Amino acid sequence: MLNIVVCVKAVPDSSMTAKLKIDPITKSLPRLDIPLVINPLDSHALEAALQLKKKYSAHITILCMGPPPAGNIVRECLALGADKGILLTDPAFAGADAFATAYTLAKAIEKNGPVDVVFCGMASSDGATEWVGPEIATFLNMPVVTMVREIVEDQGDEWIVKADYDHGHRKVKLKLPAVITVTRNLNQPRTLSFSGILKARSKEITVWDREKLDILAERVGLKGSPTYVTEMANLENRRKVEILEGSLQEKVERLVQILSDAGVV
Amino acid sequence: MIDFTFTEEQELFRKVAREFAEIKIAPHVPIMEETNRGWDEVIKELAEAEMIAITIPEEYGGLGMGYIARLIALEEIARVSVATAMMNQIFGLGIEPFIKFGTEEQKKKYLPKFATGERLATIAVTEPSGGSDPKGCRTKYKKGNGTYFLNGRKCFITNSHTADTQVVLAVDEDNPEAFTTFVVEKGLEGFKPTHEEHKMGMRGCNTGEIEMKNVSVPAENVLGGEGKGLKVAMTAIGDVGRGGMVGCALGLQQACLEAAVKFSNERILYGKSISNLQAIQFKIAEMKIDLEAGRLLGYRAAAMQDKGERSSNEFAVAKYYTTEAAQKAAKMAVDIHGGYGCMEEFPVTRYLRDSYVLGPSAGTSDIMKVIISRWALS
Amino acid sequence: MEEKSAPVFVVAEQGEGEIRSVSLQLVGKARQLADDLGSKVGVVLLGQNLTKVAQELVEAGADLVFKGDSDLLVPYQAELYSEMIVNIMVEHCPDILLIGSTFMGRELAPLIAAKLETGLAAHCIDLVINNEGILEQKIPAYGGKITIVCPEKRPQMATVANGVFPNPVLDIARSGEIIPIDVPKEFPLRVQTLEIVKEKSEGISLETASVIVAGGAGAGDHDGWHQIAELADLLNAGFGSTRPAVDAGWTELETMIGQSGKMVNPEIYIGVGLSGELQHMVGVVAAKIMIAINNDAKAPVFEQVDYGVVEDCRVFVPALVNKLKNNKAEARRAAHVN
Repeated sequence: MLNIVVCVKAVPDSSMTAKLKIDPITKSLPRLDIPLVINPLDSHALEAALQLKKKYSAHITILCMGPPPAGNIVRECLALGADKGILLTDPAFAGADAFATAYTLAKAIEKNGPVDVVFCGMASSDGATEWVGPEIATFLNMPVVTMVREIVEDQGDEWIVKADYDHGHRKVKLKLPAVITVTRNLNQPRTLSFSGILKARSKEITVWDREKLDILAERVGLKGSPTYVTEMANLENRRKVEILEGSLQEKVERLVQILSDAGVV
Repeated sequence: MIDFTFTEEQELFRKVAREFAEIKIAPHVPIMEETNRGWDEVIKELAEAEMIAITIPEEYGGLGMGYIARLIALEEIARVSVATAMMNQIFGLGIEPFIKFGTEEQKKKYLPKFATGERLATIAVTEPSGGSDPKGCRTKYKKGNGTYFLNGRKCFITNSHTADTQVVLAVDEDNPEAFTTFVVEKGLEGFKPTHEEHKMGMRGCNTGEIEMKNVSVPAENVLGGEGKGLKVAMTAIGDVGRGGMVGCALGLQQACLEAAVKFSNERILYGKSISNLQAIQFKIAEMKIDLEAGRLLGYRAAAMQDKGERSSNEFAVAKYYTTEAAQKAAKMAVDIHGGYGCMEEFPVTRYLRDSYVLGPSAGTSDIMKVIISRWALS
Repeated sequence: MEEKSAPVFVVAEQGEGEIRSVSLQLVGKARQLADDLGSKVGVVLLGQNLTKVAQELVEAGADLVFKGDSDLLVPYQAELYSEMIVNIMVEHCPDILLIGSTFMGRELAPLIAAKLETGLAAHCIDLVINNEGILEQKIPAYGGKITIVCPEKRPQMATVANGVFPNPVLDIARSGEIIPIDVPKEFPLRVQTLEIVKEKSEGISLETASVIVAGGAGAGDHDGWHQIAELADLLNAGFGSTRPAVDAGWTELETMIGQSGKMVNPEIYIGVGLSGELQHMVGVVAAKIMIAINNDAKAPVFEQVDYGVVEDCRVFVPALVNKLKNNKAEARRAAHVN
């Protein structure tokens, strides 16, 4: 049986993050209650695991590091079909950059037990560094392939995958245990169902804090982050805009004139 | 005392319902509006998404999720299509008498098939002689040898043509005080749906008449016991029927509010969005107030229902309030749209038409007041 | 090294004997940073048949080029590359390491950073040495720009996209040292690139297009998207997108312009149905004329363009397309007559 871990991040709902802007006066972010959702690419990661579960029989553990409300995201993943959830939450984890996040997640994967594949979305919609997957692999001393768009061979412990690369893709042979980061094109994530939610009632979510993980305080959160944010500043690229006036047709004509003057038409 | 927040699980139910409505139901709406048809595909979607199984107990193949979950699902579906929410709620209404009053054999025979959508239910009470006056029912039954013969006509029945299993209220030919509900199934000779209605709103939701000409209904199809028909019908309509209307109304109120907010943010007059104008803001505030109040009334009644308590009075209040509020909200939304509010490509025109069908369904507003005054005066 | 400051390094990337533009740009930038710090520029270059490329790197500003030239290094192998690069990092202890955010760079950079236990900033749009000699890494976020620093760990690592920094002027008179490095023998690969497959790329290349039309969430659906595509076609423009359009499935990730997508440099930019989020706008490095069409008068895009049209793009674009088509037809008729 395959032991799969899917790393999931709880991110602010991107349809509302447009409101999350640096305040020009205080130069900091306002505290807004934007609901958390599953990082979209992580849904594709979970879907990959669920499809393997159907094919070969697998046990899927969801791993999520975040504040307590992130537990809802874990429960949602269980409702989609994962077997078990682990929520890593501790005030000490706050302020973690990709390095500290990957370290914490790697420690949790170790603590959880033997694993064959770790699936991650290739990037989060809010941080978008793309590094947590490869850094987890390094900490666990596992190989990694990023931006996987197709799993061609998945029998046994030597897989063949296709990953996005330059103006096409590369074909990669991968020895398990390994980390795979996935792209949108890998699959179509399934939607939640009522019965899935009911089945999740009996599934377990374990909560681990820093102590439970047995990690030193200097290695997590802001303390464990080699990088941090020093300054927030506003957009400098401001132009003096002319809003075209008049009826629809008049605006069309004016725009065509502008384009013509610019030599476009 | 009271916790006014939804649980994590209820939020997930809402997410399922919202995604279902936006992805699976929305594409059908234009056809339903244009042709007053298209319900077969919609019913398939409802069944596949387990929407019909919500109130059916688990041991009979349902999900046993309860009535708060039902209200959440209906609210979300109605936000996209009131017609779809109405269909679904009436399936639920037809199912309820089996859950509350069915024998073990009846439950085993019908409920699992209702849960999968293999069979579809409705309830048939209203007649040309009155819906507000159920005792004035003229559909009669005559006892035979281990069978009953039904004669009569029901009208304004939702799912009249789509439901193959209908709970029909009839009065004893020989005893005008005795009412019985019967399970009348498609295929029984003499039973057929006849006239189809063309409603101004909730288009694509099948409403019509059924006719019974000497329909021979076997004794095992008596639901809830002979003579108990009014209790069966009124209990189901009182909680589940009204509760379903609350779901339809709340979803419509939400849709009206969203349309009003969107339009007023985008529409520029006097150099800025009309959402800056107090007259518009006040209309939106009223819609918001009614929505907040309606939600509390609806979920309070549903919570009581989940606890097994009698909730028909509370649902009468919620039904009255929300269906009236939905009509007001629709008008305000149309008004905010100005001239655009009369143009069919703007959904608010549909909201206005849908809102007027909410009123007389499952009891008119005046009947609600009769019930509520009875409650207050008792 | 006997320098006052530790060197600034770049991991260069090449393909089929050609250096990648981003690598040259980063060497140019590294040269400037090294001059600020009073240190040297080192480059790690891995691949095969690298003589010409190594020389170009020197001409762009490199003092030292560590060249791994072997058929074992083609195609890119993550574990082998990171092993060789990490060895050089450990030996030379650079202050800064820059990597282009190409497909290779985006995978390799975190592998190196984790091995060296150092910090990394992704998709930087600017790099500046501050008064304390620390590298300030600027990335766009939350409608503005945030500055990231890695004050203690070394090297300070950053990935940068093609087009952020200008192409350096190559100075053929520059001299530098080219140092061959060995490939570890019989290095076991647990992950192995078997082959790289090029797929057909359609349409006008965004990076070189002089007119670009970018579509966003305002397209509404596939039909709306096709309307905008038609406009791009009529204007002979490159057709780019924002993340919401990619997420909606109307277009591929390769067309996305922005911080984690392509950086473009057109003469004319027309943003259709997009709000002007910084993550996207930062991808438009510079344009002579910027135009936006959006139905929301409050959209931030209207503060970043020269001409704005407040209309629903689903209504405006067809009208614009119509007018352009009519003008074209008229011009053709006039040409015939004459």
